Amino acid sequence: MPQVKLFGILRRYAGASQIEANGATVRAALEFLCTGNPALRAAIWEGNALRRYVRVMVNGRDIELVQGLDTPIAPDDEIAVFPPIAGG
Amino acid sequence: MNQMGGWMGKILDVNLTTGETSERPLDMDMARQFLGGRGLGARMLWDEVGPEVDPLSPENVLIFACGPLTGTGYQTSNRFSVSTKSPLTGTVLDANSGGFWGMQFKKTGHDVLIVRGKAEQPVYLEIKPEGVTINDAVPLWGKVVSETTRTLGQNNNKRNVLCVGPAGERLSHMAAIMNDGERSLARGGPGAVMGSKNLKAIVVEGKERPGIVDQDKFKFMLYETRKLLRASPLTSQALPEFGTIVMMNVVNNVGALPTRNHRQAQFEGAEAISGEALTEKYLVKNSACWACPIGCTRVSKTDKVEGEGPEFETAWAFGAQCGVDDLAAIIEANHMCNEMGLDTISTGSTIACAMELAEMGLLDSELRFGRADLLVKMVEDIGYRRDIGAELADGSLRLAKRYGRPDLSMSSKGMELPAYDPRGMQGQGLLYATSNRGGCHMRGNMLGLEVLGLPKLIDRFQVQGKSSYVILHQNIAAVIDSLVICKFTNMGVAEEYFARALSAVTGIHYPTGEMIRVGERVYNLERLYNLREGFAKADDTLPPRLLNEPVPDGPSKGWVSKLEPMLKEYYRARGWDENGVPTPHKLAELGLDKWVEAAQ
Repeated sequence: MPQVKLFGILRRYAGASQIEANGATVRAALEFLCTGNPALRAAIWEGNALRRYVRVMVNGRDIELVQGLDTPIAPDDEIAVFPPIAGG
Repeated sequence: MNQMGGWMGKILDVNLTTGETSERPLDMDMARQFLGGRGLGARMLWDEVGPEVDPLSPENVLIFACGPLTGTGYQTSNRFSVSTKSPLTGTVLDANSGGFWGMQFKKTGHDVLIVRGKAEQPVYLEIKPEGVTINDAVPLWGKVVSETTRTLGQNNNKRNVLCVGPAGERLSHMAAIMNDGERSLARGGPGAVMGSKNLKAIVVEGKERPGIVDQDKFKFMLYETRKLLRASPLTSQALPEFGTIVMMNVVNNVGALPTRNHRQAQFEGAEAISGEALTEKYLVKNSACWACPIGCTRVSKTDKVEGEGPEFETAWAFGAQCGVDDLAAIIEANHMCNEMGLDTISTGSTIACAMELAEMGLLDSELRFGRADLLVKMVEDIGYRRDIGAELADGSLRLAKRYGRPDLSMSSKGMELPAYDPRGMQGQGLLYATSNRGGCHMRGNMLGLEVLGLPKLIDRFQVQGKSSYVILHQNIAAVIDSLVICKFTNMGVAEEYFARALSAVTGIHYPTGEMIRVGERVYNLERLYNLREGFAKADDTLPPRLLNEPVPDGPSKGWVSKLEPMLKEYYRARGWDENGVPTPHKLAELGLDKWVEAAQ
């Protein structure tokens, strides 16, 4: 199953830094991830779209440059979800 | 309160050779054109320090400059800068710092302090309402930064100490000037310039306050800015919660984290040295500079030390770049850099260069990638210029050249590159290569555009079209450095708010475009300064490793920096000729007509 890695404050909401998630697309995997976890859902989703500044990458590639939330995922893919973060 | 708006209208000039101190009015035409901080510093440096001047000679100067917003209470208006000719690079240099010293210096009634000459014996300056004194610093010479700061009576809101540590005294080209204990004017070796003058410290106490011409508009801008900073998750949550070190995992995830002297672009130990790890295991609290609601500073603690930091760049330089995944060792190395007064980016990256030279059998040392146990002592040895530290003290390029391998210095114009691999972020490579002070990410970081989607995402591997973004970011960074405020404010607040705050404070109408034009003016003048110093197109480059060696693995596998086409596009978009020289037309457009002849 694809691995979803969570970073920053998302780990606190999820209670874990890495979770196996089911789904053929990024959207499906994130929906699976947030099932039963309203705090995590609120941190990642705004309606049917990603919350502003949340970044999702598949194998290091931002999904915005692929097919967005409809980006297909393979069983051995690594999905990384970042909350709003900043630095320099 | 000062009746002018923003500026105090005075320059303090201290000649350490003659012992004379004097004041003169600030040229207000110059101030309007260049604002303060970096801009004013570059303009004044042009007049003061020409190509014949050695950076460590008495003829070099230190120009400490506030900006028109410094000390007004506008959010993050605590910053100040120092300008000089860099001993590390030979270029124009400015470095800026936060904390409290800048605010206090403005309260002495001055915008600028110029220090020139060289004292016969170590001295420290004291600038108080009663006057300026030059005092014996022989008993302080040799003391580390914390002891110096304490001895001279540091009190954050009343009496502020700026000093050099052993590294500056021994003229390390990576020496920083430290203020308020653990803040730093770090890059490019300004600490060595200060040490070369036998100047140990500058202590400030003041009572005056900058004037604000339109109090109602200014109060409104304070209110608006506060609202925006609170509303932005970047400034109200991300930075206070995790600090800058939270960048470790995201930069590593995209395969742009330079590792083992840029041999790779992804580090298997990144998680262990991340912001998440710091928060879980070593964080004491967060902290803030004067008038800052963001509070990005970490205060961290190990079994041996407690203090501010580490920032992301520091954790990277002593971490991934050295192949070290021991966060406690990194925190302790950061602490030692603060005590010695050393730039953490250059120091960490120079150690990494030494590690590679040692692994190749060129440098006789037990240094190896991953040797976390050697970091603290190596930093201390660099600070005191002893044993092998003496060879590392002047940066990676001088070290690598000594062993016949200048290509192993990960630097541009002699300044060690920061924590983003240009092979994984093409625009960042252009930024480094065209930075006027050498390889630096603070001249307009492309991290936002190429990784974080701030304000939008551009493909980090895209080459065509990147130059216009780099130029805009460079110009905005230059004006922020001239105001002088913190760039993190810009993560929640658009530039137009700075322009409106500046207009309210000074009473001079600065439309946003005009304010950004100040940044463009500063950038072009800095370019001219470097051209006068003998820098040329050939110096707008990156290490051979980044141009020729593809990333071996990870998401950036196979990529090199495609600098050449970006550079051509950049020069054209800047309004420069094919050799990177500002054209007469561009200079006239920026009000730099007097420099047209110099440009030829």
